[in-house]
Amino acid sequence: MKWRLIVRRWKEGWREPRYEEYLVDADPDTSVLDALEKAWLGDRTLVFEHACHHGVCGACGMVINGVERLACITRLGDVAVGNTVVVEPLRGFPVISDLAVDKSRMFRATARINPVTLEAAEGGVGEAPGRAAVRPEKLLDCLECGICYSACPISRTMGEYMGPAALALASKTLEASGDWARVEAALGRFGVWSCHAAFECSVRCPAGFDPGGLIMVLRGKALRRQLRGGLG
Amino acid sequence: MSGVVGALVEWMRVRGRSLEYFSFAVRRATGIFLAAYLLAHMVDISTILLGRGVYEALLDVFHGPIGLAFDVILVFSLSLHGALGIYSAVVEAGLCLKYRRALLAAAWIGGLAGAALIVWVILNVW
Repeated sequence: MKWRLIVRRWKEGWREPRYEEYLVDADPDTSVLDALEKAWLGDRTLVFEHACHHGVCGACGMVINGVERLACITRLGDVAVGNTVVVEPLRGFPVISDLAVDKSRMFRATARINPVTLEAAEGGVGEAPGRAAVRPEKLLDCLECGICYSACPISRTMGEYMGPAALALASKTLEASGDWARVEAALGRFGVWSCHAAFECSVRCPAGFDPGGLIMVLRGKALRRQLRGGLG
Repeated sequence: MSGVVGALVEWMRVRGRSLEYFSFAVRRATGIFLAAYLLAHMVDISTILLGRGVYEALLDVFHGPIGLAFDVILVFSLSLHGALGIYSAVVEAGLCLKYRRALLAAAWIGGLAGAALIVWVILNVW
């Protein structure tokens, strides 16, 4: 079966992005990522990120027919309108080239939280004698795919906003440690208080991490803490 | 696109989105509409300073089908903004998060039913 893959393309030096069409021969169970790789065989200038091909690494987050998805676990037959699939880069991040975006904004925000990992809570893998220190920086179930930033209307319009993944990390950190100092950055103007409960981050999260719900849990705790402080 | 217009376009990008996102967009759109209405209302009542004739001439503009249509939009905006605002206030305080979809459904039903009731009163009682 022939599929029309329409890809939003932009490269440094181009004044405007443009949409290019690729005809790909594949069955409906083929993933969008595999279809892109077939298109790439005919056009080696097409740029997109990928790694694991099975929904774990979070590298292939894209906007597919208007909705954020991981291209590797999205089947053409499930999302095509007729035989057409439009693929665009994630929103809310600067585009590096074609479908590849610069997610450093998310990693900078995440770095402002001082997380407690499962390893540290159980005694600290990094502290074991004879082992190289491991700096814990992986966010539990979060794939760090950036889909939540692209789906969130606030992340897309407020560059300073820390964003769903980083704030969800803060919520999990507070839950595990009870230590407010570790999550101080999340309590500022561009932290939990900038979320406006659209919950699209939770709906689109491919790992079911529910960033929106976690942000609201942290916000509720912060609110009660402030009220208790205010009441003496 | 950047600035206020860019933000508005992004907020209203509802194609393919969930009911939760759509509700966020409705909250924003009705909020902006109500703020604009409040401003227009202030201008409207300020025309009394220009004399009773000017004030009543302006009021006459809103007597008729156009005014009625505007009132219906206003009532739906008020009711939905209020109902979705209560939902938002509850979940944004970290309360009832497990039931947030049920709360949202209740807010929509309450908001639409409330607006329909007020419109019915406007059309049949006044």
